[in-house]
Order: sequence, then C-alpha cells, then structure tokens
Amino acid sequence: MWRYIARRFAYMLFTVWVISLISFILIQLPPGDFATKMVSQMLSGGAREVPPEVEAQLRAQYGLDQPVYVQYATWIGKIIFEGDFGYSFTYKRDAIELIFERLPMTFTISLFSVLFIWVVALPTGIYSAVNKYSLSDYLFTFVGFIGLAVPNFLLALILMFLSYKFSGQALIGLFSPEFADAPWSLAKVLDMLKHLWIPVIIVGMAGTASLIRTMRANLLDELNKPYVETARAKGLSELRLLWKYPVRHALNPFISTVGWTLPTLVGGEVIVSIVLNLPTSGPIILESLMQQDMYLSAGFILVLSTLTVVGTFVSDLLLAWLDPRIRLQ
Amino acid sequence: MDAVAQQPELEPTWGAEADDDLKLEVATQWQLMWWKFRKHQLAMAGGAVVIFFYILALGAEFFAPKLFTWYDKNYVYAPPQQIHLIRDGQLAPFVYGYKFERDPKSYKKTWLVDEETIIPIGLFVSGEPYKILGLIETDIHLIGPLDQDDPFYLMGADKSGRDVFSRIIYSARISLSVGLVGVFISMMLGIVLGGLSGLLGGAVDNIIQRLIEIMMSIPMLPVWLAIAAVVPLDWSALDVYFIITILLALTTWTGLARVVRGKFLSLREDDFILAARLDGAPGMRLIFRHMLPSFYSHVIASLTLLLPGMILAETALSFLGVGLRPPVVSWGVMLQETQKVAVIAIYPWLLYPALAVIIVVLAFNFLGDGLRDAADPY
Amino acid sequence: MGDILLDVIDLKIHFFTDEGVVKAVDGVDLAIERGKTLCLVGESGCGKSVTCRAFLRLIANPGRLVSGEMHFRSSTNGTIDLAQLDPKGSAIRDIRGKEIAMIFQEPMTSLSLMHTVGDQIMESVLLHENVLKPEARDRAIEMLQRVGIPKPDRLVDEYPFRLSGGMRQRAMIAMALSCNPTMLIADEPTTALDVTTQAQILDLMLDLQRQDNMTLMFITHDLGVVAEIADDVAVMYLGRIVERASVDTIFNAPQHPYTQALLRSIPKIAMQRDELDPIKGMVPSPYRRPSGCTFHPRCSRRIEACNRIVPSVTELAPGHTVRCLLYENIQETEALQHG
Repeated sequence: MWRYIARRFAYMLFTVWVISLISFILIQLPPGDFATKMVSQMLSGGAREVPPEVEAQLRAQYGLDQPVYVQYATWIGKIIFEGDFGYSFTYKRDAIELIFERLPMTFTISLFSVLFIWVVALPTGIYSAVNKYSLSDYLFTFVGFIGLAVPNFLLALILMFLSYKFSGQALIGLFSPEFADAPWSLAKVLDMLKHLWIPVIIVGMAGTASLIRTMRANLLDELNKPYVETARAKGLSELRLLWKYPVRHALNPFISTVGWTLPTLVGGEVIVSIVLNLPTSGPIILESLMQQDMYLSAGFILVLSTLTVVGTFVSDLLLAWLDPRIRLQ
Repeated sequence: MDAVAQQPELEPTWGAEADDDLKLEVATQWQLMWWKFRKHQLAMAGGAVVIFFYILALGAEFFAPKLFTWYDKNYVYAPPQQIHLIRDGQLAPFVYGYKFERDPKSYKKTWLVDEETIIPIGLFVSGEPYKILGLIETDIHLIGPLDQDDPFYLMGADKSGRDVFSRIIYSARISLSVGLVGVFISMMLGIVLGGLSGLLGGAVDNIIQRLIEIMMSIPMLPVWLAIAAVVPLDWSALDVYFIITILLALTTWTGLARVVRGKFLSLREDDFILAARLDGAPGMRLIFRHMLPSFYSHVIASLTLLLPGMILAETALSFLGVGLRPPVVSWGVMLQETQKVAVIAIYPWLLYPALAVIIVVLAFNFLGDGLRDAADPY
Repeated sequence: MGDILLDVIDLKIHFFTDEGVVKAVDGVDLAIERGKTLCLVGESGCGKSVTCRAFLRLIANPGRLVSGEMHFRSSTNGTIDLAQLDPKGSAIRDIRGKEIAMIFQEPMTSLSLMHTVGDQIMESVLLHENVLKPEARDRAIEMLQRVGIPKPDRLVDEYPFRLSGGMRQRAMIAMALSCNPTMLIADEPTTALDVTTQAQILDLMLDLQRQDNMTLMFITHDLGVVAEIADDVAVMYLGRIVERASVDTIFNAPQHPYTQALLRSIPKIAMQRDELDPIKGMVPSPYRRPSGCTFHPRCSRRIEACNRIVPSVTELAPGHTVRCLLYENIQETEALQHG
C-alpha cells in the first residue's frame, strides 16, 4: 500500500508542477507584460509620458528582462517561499489577499456539493438498481437526464429568474444583508449555511445525476456476479446481502468517480458564482481575465487546481483504504 | 455407426427450424445493434430530435422567418406573439399586432397586444431573399406574415428588435457544428493517443496515462476562461470559432482515449488479433482492419455522449462573454443578454435559447445512452 | 429405493425473455437418496444448473418456477415442499446454507474479493447457529483445516484474491460445509480447475461426504468425474431427465439413445483416431424446442412417433428409469396424452 500511496503522491506533485507551468504560460499569453501594464497605469493615472528608461528599469526590477525560465523560477519561488502571488492592478492589492478572501468559499461550496452528491446519489442509485425498471427507477432516470442536460449556469439563471419573479428580488446570495460585510462570527456562519444550499444544489446537480447513473450501472453489474448468488445460497436476507456485498463492491468505482468529479465541481462553482454574483472566486477570476490582470487570475487558477488535485489524491487514499486489492498490493 | 444412414428420410422434421436458427446467427453486428437500439424508445426519440435540429440548422434561411442580422428598431423588446388559427370561423392563421404606450413619468415604452390589428400569416411566404445552401436564390420562408413588413415575433424581440425565434434557428448552425468539429478533433486525438497507449504499452502508455490524469484533475473551466479571454479582440469571428473548438477538443479527448486504450489492451490478447498477427498482417493493417472495427460502435457511442458536453461548454463560454462574439450567433451568444437578472425578469422570452440548449443536450444524452447500450448487442 | 431426502416431481422452470419463453426445465422428476452421491449429467444449456438452483429457490428473473413439487425431508421441520416457499422468505433462508448448501463453478468470482475468507465462512455460522464471533472464527479455522488448507489460522484473515484457484475452491467447500448441511449441491465445482487440482478437490469432497454421511448432488458434464464419484446418475437433455440409473448401469448398459450416444462420444485412451463418434447435429435453439421427444432430430434410433409424442418416465428395473418411446407402449401413452 505504501508504494501505491507514494506513487500517487509523486503523480500529484508532477500534476501540480504541470499546473504551475500552465498558469505561468497564461501570464505570458496576453501582449505586453507587467512593466507595460505599470506604464499604462501611470499614463492613465495622470502622468504625461513615461520615459522608456523608466519602463526598462521596471522591467529590470521585476526580472522581466531575464530569460523565460528564470522568470518562471522567480515567480514560482516567490509563491512557494513567500506566498507572494504578485500584484493585482484591477484591485490594487496583493493577489494573495484576494485569493485568501475568496477561495475558502469556493471550496466550502464545492465540498458541500460533494457531500450533497453522495448523500443523494448513493441511496438513489442503489434504489434504482434494486428496483430496476420500476416506476420510480424511470422517474429517477428521467430526472437524472434532466439534471445532466441543464447546465448549472442555466439552472442558476432560471432559479434567479423565478425568485425574482416571485419574491421581487434575486434572493440568491451567500449572506443575509446584515451579515454581508460583518466580520466572521458564529451567527454569520449559521447565516451562511442557511443560504448555502441553493448554490450547493445548483453546483451538485449534474454531478448527482451522473453519479446516480454510475451507481445504478455499477450495482446492476455487481448484482449479477456469482458471489451474490453464493451469499444468497448461504441464507442471507436480501437486504443484508445487498449492503454487505454488491453495494460494497460498487462503492469502489463510486469513490474514484468522486475524485474526478471534483474538478468539474470546482469549475461549476466558478461559473455558477459568476451568474449568481456570489463572493467566491468565480467573479474575480472572470473579472481579472477580462482585465488581463494575469497575476491574479493565474494565482487563482494555480491554487484552485492544486487544491483540486490534492482532493483527488485524498480520494485515491480513500480508495486504497477501502479496497483490499489496492491496500495489499 | 450406420443407424444414421438407415433412416435418412426422417430428416425434414427439423429442417424448417434449422433455417430460422441460421438466420439468427448470420445477423450482422450492425443489424443486432439496430434491433437492440430500436427497442430503446427514448433513444429513438432523442435521435429524431437531433436529426430535426440538424435539418433546422442546414435550412436555417428557409425555416427562419427573418435573417439573423435583420432588425427593426421600432420593435425593441417586443413580446412574443401567439398564433391564432381560426378567424371568423375560417382557417386563416394570424397574429395580433402591437401597440405601445409611453409611461408618462419614466417615458418608457411598454408593449400591448393590439387586438385591432390583425396580421395574417401563412406558410411558404415571400420574405427576405437568400440562397438555398448558398446556390439557388429565393425568398420563400417556411412561415411568416403575408406582408413581410408586418411585425412577426413568435418568441419576442431582443434589445435591437431582432427576431429571437429566427436567431435561435440560425444559432443551431453554430452551436451544433462547434460540437461536431470539436468532437472530430477530439476523436482523432482520443483514438491516436489511446491507441498508442494501449498498443505500445510501457513508457509511452505511462506518459499518455499521466497526461490524461493531469487533464482530468485540473478544473478545466477556469483554464478555458483564461485562454479564451486572452484571444485578442481584433481576431475575426472565424478565428475565435476555431480557437474555441480546438480548445474544447484539447480538453475532452481524455475520456475517449481511455475507452480506446482499454479496448486495445483487451484486444491485444484476443484470439482473432493473434490469428491476424500470425498471418503476418502488418501493424497498421492490424489496427485499422481488425482492431478498430471491433469497437467502432463503442467509439460512436462515446462520441455521442461527448457532443452535448461540447455544446454546453461553448454555450457557457459564450454566455460569459469569452467565447464566440457577435456578429456570430449561437445560443450562448444570445444568452449573454440574460446575464442581468433585471433583464430576464422583464423580458423572460430571452431565455428561449436556453430551452433549445436543454432540448438538444437532452436528446443527445438519450441518443448516446441508447447507442451505448446497443453497442454491445451480444 | 431407500431413504429419499429430496423428491422432485414434474418440476418446470421457464424463462420469460423478450425473445420468447425458454423452457429450461420442462418436467423433471428426480428422487435423491440420503447419503448417496447423485451426478446430474448433460451438455451445457440442458438445464442442470437451473434444476439444482431451483432446490434452493435461487432462480432469478426472468426465470420462474412454473409448476412442480420438491419434497424435502428437513432434519428439524418434517417434510417441506420447497416449491411452495417464498423465495425471499425466512423459511427457505433457514434451509439455505444450513440444510442444503451449495458450491459453485467459478471459485474466482464466487467469493467476494473484498471480504476475508474467514469473514465469509463465519457469516454462515453466525447466521444459522447461535454462536458468538470468536466461536464462529474457531469454527472457520477448523473448517479450513478440514479442507486441507495449510496454516488455517493465518489464511482465515486472507483475502480470496491472494489464494490460488484450488485454495479458493477449498475455501468455498469449507464455507458450504461450515453448518454441517444434510445435502451439498456442487455445480461443476472442478471445471475451472486444472486436472491435478481437480482430482484433489474430488477426493476431498468424497472424503467429507463419507465422514458426514452427507447427500451429494454433483453437476457435471465430465463423464470421467461421474465414473469416479457417482452412486447414481441422472442424464439430462433439454430440460428433461432422459435416463436415471446406478452408475454401473449407466456405463455398462445404458438404454436411452442419448446416453448411449454420449458414452460413444467420449475419447478413450485405447481408441483409434477415427473411432470417435460425436453426437450428430447441434443442440437446438432454446427458443424452438423440437416437438415430441426433444432429442429426436439428433437421435439415431428414432421412430416415426418421436416427433409427436412426449415420452413418459418408464421404469425398466428398480432404480432404472428412462424417457424414450422405444421402451413404452406407444398406443397407451398416446391415448393418455390426448385423452
């Protein structure tokens, strides 16, 4: 098992490295660099003209005249050793502050969505498989298809429209107005939990639908396996048998599915919070991209992806713990 | 034993049955799949809807009452009209016209249905001229007002007085073809990389597997956003379209690659491949003549399930304003207008494109699901 | 015949599929004697596995027990007609594993790979006997020892995927015998094993059967195995038992043309190459059973009436029955079937 974990861990590190490369490339993509940005900001800030020497000096100061790989090393080094993600022009603050402000909410919503998906998909999938072709199976299947077909941002849009229509305001935020700018307190957390369920359901919808189908299909496969017949021939009751054997077996693919739904969930959270204008990373990422505020957006993408990869790694560990075939390797 | 020879005349008692058995055995793989698919009613319905939308997209000029660039500033945000079939006891389809009032205070226009004005409509009416498939010039539209200057907004008008209904039909062209082009590129990548991975094994396999894992563990949406956002503003609509499709393809080939790899791995050990190999079939021939055909059906099914994802991704990107840009019209581009909740609250018909997206994606999912079931008819 | 443990009368199990009805078991009569080994022989798809699963009511959809009786002499509850029990009820569950146990063909897939061997053996014991976990564990270890597994106290905590095929099948046997069942059904338990292991498992089963005076019903298509272990043999073809007799009679004086053909089709070491005589034709499609005697299209001794009349069970000698028109009064049967 330790070899398995070590290998997964190495893969994780490698993936994070690739992510950092992608993020760095994103910074390099738009025309111009930090220095040109600075200059244009000075110009719009009232400076009449900025002499080219100043621009060159800026470039030297930030190491932008160095070869690309040195720039990469500087950038990633600062992030790892100083937690310095660079400076955001749009918000005129350090990127790290914004990341710390917004990212926790994104992950709160994503993790609650994982929970929501599990709590709904597991029993529904099992029920659907055991009562194959029953009325409720068809119903769940149909609802599942709808859940897959309605993209989460449209769902958010529609819910927002409905709430506007019936209550006169777009009610979907994370906090009640009196808590929105208040410092964190127990009351604020409770207030957040009260509001959280709408984005959580929206974000988790598609995942729930697909996981119900996965669980149903897996379980249907398992229900026909010979070991089920063996257990039945021992005299086990149907319910005990179901939970002890096929469900246990079907759980493995289920857990690894959770590992790779996490990236989709995080992506979904980003777009949903853009639509609902929630105070999470989504709106900031979009805004910074539109403004080509690349240090900020690259920082967000780097941290977001890294945390997602860590989440996938955790689901790998869970799988190893659950499945003796991996554990005893 | 010669007992058999003694009583050959008794043979016919099961001759007829034997023929039937034979028929069952010689049904080709595709026939079996079709039989199995036909039983899947939702999938059949899904297939019909998909075909319907592609026909709409192909003949958009004919099916849409107006061109997608057409607008009438007099009818900004005009609400949808309802078709009435019977007038004065006779079959004479018509819609009511509009009248508008200005709010004395805010001076805002509000639309009302004007039951005084009757706009007769019909099938195969003359409208704006266009060329069928870019060849034959004509001005016949499937449906429209008899007098082409009358307002006709089945699904309302948008902020420039354009016809939402017509634009939805034109959008099908872009939205559905982004999917196709993207899926084609994705399929190529998936088959080649998955195939290499499964066939060669070893280090190549390991590298490709890592690549797939990385692609699958990064939240793609922010990356899409980022790349799409840095596309320079002066690029033409066509360039953006290409970038978007390639982008979608680059991030969606992984699923198919896994399927193909798995199939190649198991096929490598299969007897008929071994037989072909011992027969001296060269590598390429082995892959394309013997291995690929044995799981075309799986590939087709996976692709059908990939398409709706592509359509949704394009819609999402365009909706956020980092995908396709006007004047290109897709469902996502149309939905851009709905970003503000205040707008949809007053003009809810602007959400109609969302309905089109949902229907098409649902249809593709049903179709793909049925295909996947049928892909293994044995 | 002596002490009958299980008496099956006119058992019919049909599978209602989309393509039509498959009469997998179509009128089986079978009496199983206590303490003896009965081999059920037949080609693949003849219904032998379905028959024995019916005893434990393990027939899954779309299969259904259409009619028939299965009188079982329970050691605790007198005679029970298994056919009357609810397949999900507690009555049949008390019999499963406790009075009638079963082992299956594939030791690879018939054990759950996610649970330890010990866990799966103990489960039976805990279910049917009023014992606590430590006791059940001791029993599991004892059973593993009995079936010849080395270091049973260590293997009890092992997962099945770490055992060889032979070891797994031994574990399966240990599991089946853990509650001292009166009857053991073995559905081709050696088919998936290599020849040496096969012999060891057969010896083991015979040993255990003798020690416990257990009734053994052994399903196989391997006539060599039959010769080695059987007391009685029942030959099955397309859902019916065509001949039933002692193992000596079956091998030395078979009466049904199918049994005769079956015996001729096995290769013997002393035989010349061209002497091998396979049965003519193919097993018919399950959806279109031949009329009359289902074997008639392939039969070398068929007579004119064979495609019309379903032969009935004829007793040729005590304990030797056959279903073939050659051995019955045709007019009488015909009158019976049409009147």
